[in-house]
Amino acid sequence: MSDAEMERIFLENAATAAAGTHSVSDTGDLLAALGRVVAIDSPVFCPGMTELEKAAAALFPVRAADYAAAAVTVEEVFGAVAETGTIVCSSEGGRAVQAGLLPAHHVAIVRRERIFGTLDDLFAAIAFAPPTNVTLVTGPSRTADIELTLAIGVHGPEKLDIILV
Amino acid sequence: MSPEQTSLAFRANSVCALEDSALRAAMKQATDTFGTKRADAFAPVADLEALRDRASAIRDDVLANLPMYVDRFVASATRAGAVVHRAEDAATAREIVRTILADRGARRIVKGKSMVSEEVDLNSHLEAAGMEVVETDLGEYIIQMEGETPSHIIVPAIHKNRRQVGRLFADRLGVPYSDDPQALTKIARKALREKFLSADAGISGANFAATDTGSLVLVTNEGNGRMVTTVPPLHVAILSVEKMLPSLADLPAFLRLLPRSATGQTITSYVSVITGPRKPGDATGAKELHIVLLDNGRTEILAGESRDILKCIRCGACMNVCPVYRTVGGHAYGWTYPGPMGIILTTLLTGMKKSHPLVDASTLCGACVDVCPVRVPLVDLILGLRKRKVREGFADPRERRGMEAFGKAAAKPALFALGQRLAGAFWPLVRALGGKDVAGRMPSPAKTPLRRRLP
Amino acid sequence: MRVLLFGTCLVDTFFPEAGEATVRLLRRFGAEPVFPKGQTCCGQPAFNAGYEAQARAAAEHFLREFDGDDPIVTPSGSCAAMVKHHYPRLFRDDPKLLAKAKRAGERIHELTQFLVHVAKAHEAGLRGKGTVTYHASCHLTRSLGVREEPLTLLSSLKGAAFLPMPDAARCCGFGGTFMAKLPEISCALADEKAASIEATGADTVTGCDSGCLMNIADAMRRRGTKIRVVHIAQLLAEGL
Ligand code: SF4
Repeated sequence: MSDAEMERIFLENAATAAAGTHSVSDTGDLLAALGRVVAIDSPVFCPGMTELEKAAAALFPVRAADYAAAAVTVEEVFGAVAETGTIVCSSEGGRAVQAGLLPAHHVAIVRRERIFGTLDDLFAAIAFAPPTNVTLVTGPSRTADIELTLAIGVHGPEKLDIILV
Repeated sequence: MSPEQTSLAFRANSVCALEDSALRAAMKQATDTFGTKRADAFAPVADLEALRDRASAIRDDVLANLPMYVDRFVASATRAGAVVHRAEDAATAREIVRTILADRGARRIVKGKSMVSEEVDLNSHLEAAGMEVVETDLGEYIIQMEGETPSHIIVPAIHKNRRQVGRLFADRLGVPYSDDPQALTKIARKALREKFLSADAGISGANFAATDTGSLVLVTNEGNGRMVTTVPPLHVAILSVEKMLPSLADLPAFLRLLPRSATGQTITSYVSVITGPRKPGDATGAKELHIVLLDNGRTEILAGESRDILKCIRCGACMNVCPVYRTVGGHAYGWTYPGPMGIILTTLLTGMKKSHPLVDASTLCGACVDVCPVRVPLVDLILGLRKRKVREGFADPRERRGMEAFGKAAAKPALFALGQRLAGAFWPLVRALGGKDVAGRMPSPAKTPLRRRLP
Repeated sequence: MRVLLFGTCLVDTFFPEAGEATVRLLRRFGAEPVFPKGQTCCGQPAFNAGYEAQARAAAEHFLREFDGDDPIVTPSGSCAAMVKHHYPRLFRDDPKLLAKAKRAGERIHELTQFLVHVAKAHEAGLRGKGTVTYHASCHLTRSLGVREEPLTLLSSLKGAAFLPMPDAARCCGFGGTFMAKLPEISCALADEKAASIEATGADTVTGCDSGCLMNIADAMRRRGTKIRVVHIAQLLAEGL
């Protein structure tokens, strides 16, 4: 699978799983995209740990100190899986995986080169020494527990946006 | 609640269920939807049969070497910092969990969906010890509020319609009545969010346990499983021993099969792989992770002729297609696990004496075998249990006499022909007495049977 | 070609017309059906209820009666599946009978299998009338894997319209002794099946197993529906 092909499949599958998808080419575009998907005055949690997160964090005047109090989490995630349109969150490097879980809106930044083609590729990469927590996230939180009718945002986010950089 | 097993009353239970029109409508709608969704989800999968073969072979290998894999899991999980407890039976498992919680002064417990915890009836034991146990899976939350048990292993409240849930929430939570699933979901989210943030401990199950890394794998949709395992400081996971997968690298095959079979999704919203508790430098994970491995008769099942039921990955597909389950729902089976896999597991785990009518609760239509992602030979296992029922003397004595006579006549054509003629003579009487029973629903024997019509 | 006809106990005792129709069809397509007079039952009632010794007795008798090399034809998917799939298991620890059982499994054909694959009856321009729908019985479909043959035959009928039934392969609730042990569920399932049949608008429903057809006919009677329920052998033989 070529990189372009993988990217296309990933975006398509992520969209099918009801995630918002955005594809940008550089940091400037990323900030513009963030400006579009995040309401600028909502309390945002951004760990500010990676280059992209540092750039993103500067954009938001209202910052939540803790993800539990945030309306939005903006973070760069470990990677993605094209096969299923999944983003992969990892606890590696002292990251709080639950930061993307508690706020109602999760914005995940993924670097293009971090897309794995299949679930096998992903697990081959992490199976040797998995960190404490690896969570595969595909679309927003959902349930069909009442009459098998889909309802979004049970305990996790109601909205998931993925920005591919 | 602490449910009494009512499997012996399967027929009476099913008659009640048949008269409950709300239940029947809910079951029909839900299982029809499942059927369509499952078919759609598998349609684009190339080489599905090869995928099923692979998953089946992995599960076979696990069962063939289960003690070794369990030991390996215990070692790996311990190395990752978890504390692993082995529980021989339900009572031991309950007590282990209670002690872990009590020793740490935990009083407010949030719980993710776990059929094993239902199997050992964990909640009532913890509640009796003064703890508050809140089910956080929406379906479990609903039935806990109603004081019921799950009627499906994936969708616990499958038997309820939206109006029933709306009235329940209005009654118990004092919220305005709504029958909109999205609105009801919002109500539950709000009520449960507070519980998560103030909980002392989380209890979860696990779908798989990887023996090479000691990881637990949770396959969920709502996010409550993630909350339970990452927000409170203490996480207790309870799972049965057969949930092992040799390696974390085996997981993809099961991630492709389980969600598609269960809910018709390509993958669930969340798949969490948890390897040990929070370590220095981590910002994720419970500070303490305890894993309770339940045997509860599985080692014995492993040694017997029904061992293949332990291949089951609890997707629920077999019940969704089962004509009996679809018609009477899960509660009629009278214990934790319903449907075809439930017939087998219940009989094996609770004993023939408490459950023998269940082995007859199948038309042997084989729809379950067609859909089982890991090729559990459900019909053969049910047939095996029927033999055991007869062998152990739980068959109806009239049936036994009838079958013995049948065996003789089937081997002696003259006797067989005589039987045919007698049946013809007595049929009007048999029919008159039979009512809804079998004779009343069959035509009379032909005046001249085929054997006397042909040259 | 000589073929051994296994009538099955149900057809023999309750539905001899389906057996006679089978004979007519076989003759029409050049086969010489022989009815071994000592035949009884394949043993399914005992086997499915857990009485292995009795099932074995019936199966051993069947293997004696149907010994030889001639093809065996039976108007029942369920009984054919019993011989093909369960006999080898019954005799797993008896090498001689096991070999016979396996051989019988290779020789046995459910009627529509024989009519399509051997007799090519679907090319013979059989006549039909009215509108026909089809119930795909469980063991025929899933155990024996016979899915297309009945449809091939029915859609070849000149003058009849074939109307497919939704969920045609869903169980009708017969299940052999199931019908007697859990009659309430059995009736509920038969009702559901009857409703599917009625929804097609067909005037006739057919199938390859007289047990299921009997159960369906009973549901029709209870519901006061006038749809004709008939074994596929009879339906096809009418068009000869
Ligand atoms: S037996 Fe098979 S179909 Fe049934 S729940 Fe288990 S894995 Fe799923």
